[in-house]
Amino acid sequence: MLTNHQPGVAEKHSEAPFYRPVADEADVFRAAARRGLPVLLKGPTGCGKTRFVEAMAHDLGRELITVAGHEDMTSADLVGRFLLKGSETVWVDGPLTRAAREGAIFYLDEVVEARQDTTVVIHPLADHRRELPVDRLGTTVPAAPGFLLVISYNPGYQSVLKNLKESTRQRFIALELDFPPAAIETEVVAHEAGIDLATARTLVTLGDAIRNLDGSGLREVSSTRMLILAGGLVAEGLSLRRAVQAAVVEALSDDADVVYALGELADAILPRT
Amino acid sequence: MTTGAERFRLLAMFVANRAVEIAETRPGEPSYTNGEVIFVASGRSADEQRREVLLQSALLGGGSLDPRVTASLRARPRLTRRYLSLEGRRVLAELADRLPLAAALRPDDQPATMTAGESLEKARGRTKVEEAPEWFGVIRPSRLLPTTSAEHGASPTRRDLHTQIDQLEAADDEDEDDEDGRPSERSKILKLFESPVSAVESLADYFRKLLGSARSPGNEDVGGHLQVRAGRRARAVGSNARPLPTRIRFTDDASPGAAVGVAGALFPEWDVHNNRYRPDWCRVVDFDLTDAADVSTGGVIHDDVLRRRLSRIGLGPKTLRRRPDGDDLDIEALIDLFVDLRSGHSPAEHVYSERRQLERNLGVLILLDASGSATDTDADGLAVHEHQRRAAATMVVTLEELGDRVAFYAFRSHGRHSVQLPAIKTFGQRFGALGRARLNQLQPSGYTRLGAGIRGAGEILKAQAGTPNRLLVVLSDGFPYDDGYEGRYAEADTHKALEELRTDGVACLCLSIGAATDTEALERVFGSAGHASAPNLAVLSPHMDELFLGALGELAAPQALTSQAAPARAAR
Repeated sequence: MLTNHQPGVAEKHSEAPFYRPVADEADVFRAAARRGLPVLLKGPTGCGKTRFVEAMAHDLGRELITVAGHEDMTSADLVGRFLLKGSETVWVDGPLTRAAREGAIFYLDEVVEARQDTTVVIHPLADHRRELPVDRLGTTVPAAPGFLLVISYNPGYQSVLKNLKESTRQRFIALELDFPPAAIETEVVAHEAGIDLATARTLVTLGDAIRNLDGSGLREVSSTRMLILAGGLVAEGLSLRRAVQAAVVEALSDDADVVYALGELADAILPRT
Repeated sequence: MTTGAERFRLLAMFVANRAVEIAETRPGEPSYTNGEVIFVASGRSADEQRREVLLQSALLGGGSLDPRVTASLRARPRLTRRYLSLEGRRVLAELADRLPLAAALRPDDQPATMTAGESLEKARGRTKVEEAPEWFGVIRPSRLLPTTSAEHGASPTRRDLHTQIDQLEAADDEDEDDEDGRPSERSKILKLFESPVSAVESLADYFRKLLGSARSPGNEDVGGHLQVRAGRRARAVGSNARPLPTRIRFTDDASPGAAVGVAGALFPEWDVHNNRYRPDWCRVVDFDLTDAADVSTGGVIHDDVLRRRLSRIGLGPKTLRRRPDGDDLDIEALIDLFVDLRSGHSPAEHVYSERRQLERNLGVLILLDASGSATDTDADGLAVHEHQRRAAATMVVTLEELGDRVAFYAFRSHGRHSVQLPAIKTFGQRFGALGRARLNQLQPSGYTRLGAGIRGAGEILKAQAGTPNRLLVVLSDGFPYDDGYEGRYAEADTHKALEELRTDGVACLCLSIGAATDTEALERVFGSAGHASAPNLAVLSPHMDELFLGALGELAAPQALTSQAAPARAAR
């Protein structure tokens, strides 16, 4: 099936996504959007990068086209390709070309997962030219006024081999997102998971405790997304300890020693039953 | 199942707010901490150990073991006990607000003090202080390690990140009292550039170099790393410098030696008695075995266990495009095909893409000991050489099937002027029936100058493997021995040769198969991780992946591809 090679998921959003700004990131983003400057979002996994872009797209009233970067992605997956229809070949725009034509926000998630020679196709769109050369058609697609390029990556867990090309990086304004402060994160967890503030606060305390462990041997720390998952389990009627075990402790490590140690930490921090 | 107290590590790290380890005390001793390790009483139940860990880490996190306080506790056991009792209650009460576990475990009474200083005052006084419960353990002021905030574990404070003027001035005073040698002359302005933040360090380095005030050798920072590299040609090198091998040029009447597969070099040898290299000492020659061999005798035992084990090493997924068949359509190729068809061409219909685990990046050279000592026979009448030969053939076949770059050389020596490395299979050749027959005809003779053999094989591996991960597997039965090459000298030279290879990014593994003689010398030379011995290969096969990975793991990281030989795998 040809659909196997359709890159990522292109989706539209109608209801306002919940995003709670932590600092001035929304202002910076809006300013960049007014100028059409491309934006690079950095931050650990599960801290709300994707949600932030969704909220911003809704706020600006533009369509959002999301593509997740992966190793097999070719530039044709972004720009477009000829497909066979009946006995003719028909050009089909890729998501990037479509976004450029329609003036949508193009969000390339986990950009370093894609090969570097693929990501260079965004260069002409990311600087003053604001156009996309489509060599197979022999044409150049100028970006419509509303077009905005957003890429994201996680500087933490990617290996040294996978890094952003310097020439790519320098075309973007960079916004660093991190896990929100405890008060805001509590609010977010409570809202997203549908649980009361006290439970959310306990979860956030645990998440903070795990994040601040120094040299714990964990590759990733407990993300906001993870805490929301745990909260969701609580909302479904599981006990807090069980929910934390399933959504946080077991999810963070496969190492039996670390799982036990995290369990001890969770036992200590969660309220005694 | 986690045995012992290690499971409380993360809890302790959280409470103490720094990196700590957990260990058990000797039986009968109470729990205590030295600031980096929390010792819990051994043989207690998990509940008891948990509260001991909690108290000791709370003391660390609550600032009770601050050096300023504990200094006055030294050699005053009664005061220390009173202080512990007060402080233990205080830190647990403080912790109880944010840690339900502490609330559940702490004694019921209210703490009598609010700060560590107040506790110390009160402990010094004459008021009655309740005895500490037994699980409070003890404070051992003398065991507490002097920790500075800059040490690992503690999070950096503002002061650490600040340019360290005050601390350097203190160090300066020490320099002046320093009696051995002159203190290094560094201007104070330069010190302003010093900061523990690594990004600034290079700048400081730069300025120091620029202004010509290098560090004095004794003043290396902890963990300082001095690189010895020279970009300039030196007139005379120190005796410790490793001489490079000198190439030997062979010429036949018509063609140079390289054309018929003969190459060689004069290699240095390490002289342990004089602690220096002997340059151009051993003549090592490698050549293709070209005897006409009886093909019918070649047979190789297949070892499925070995194959399974080795197949796990060094594998990465790789997408193959434009394949004649596969599990997915390669749309690019499909479109191109149709475009071509429409315009009148009819190319081959390679329109599928395949994703297979065959990105191998391991190059192995198997070096087989073909010296005379290998003719010893075992109880079944099979010579050691026979065992090794079979094992080597099996490994070569297995690795080749798996798609690794593999070469197979034998080695033997007759004194230092004739170290031979006959090639049974070079990296470029296939290990066909002819190769196998040649292997079977290989007659053991001569002696074992192991160091020279390893150096020669290492050169071949470095030049021809063309892979980032390179491994030298030596199949040998034991003691290195040759004319003027035995005992400590031989061991030291072999050890040195292995060291050189590891420095150059080549891993080494030694297998002794079928050897009845003791292989202690080899184990000493290769290290216990790099050596394994067994009566036959089948015994080792289940552990072969561990052995390979162990040897490769000794290298810090795979080296960059430096070889001129491109991997001949692009076509596959």
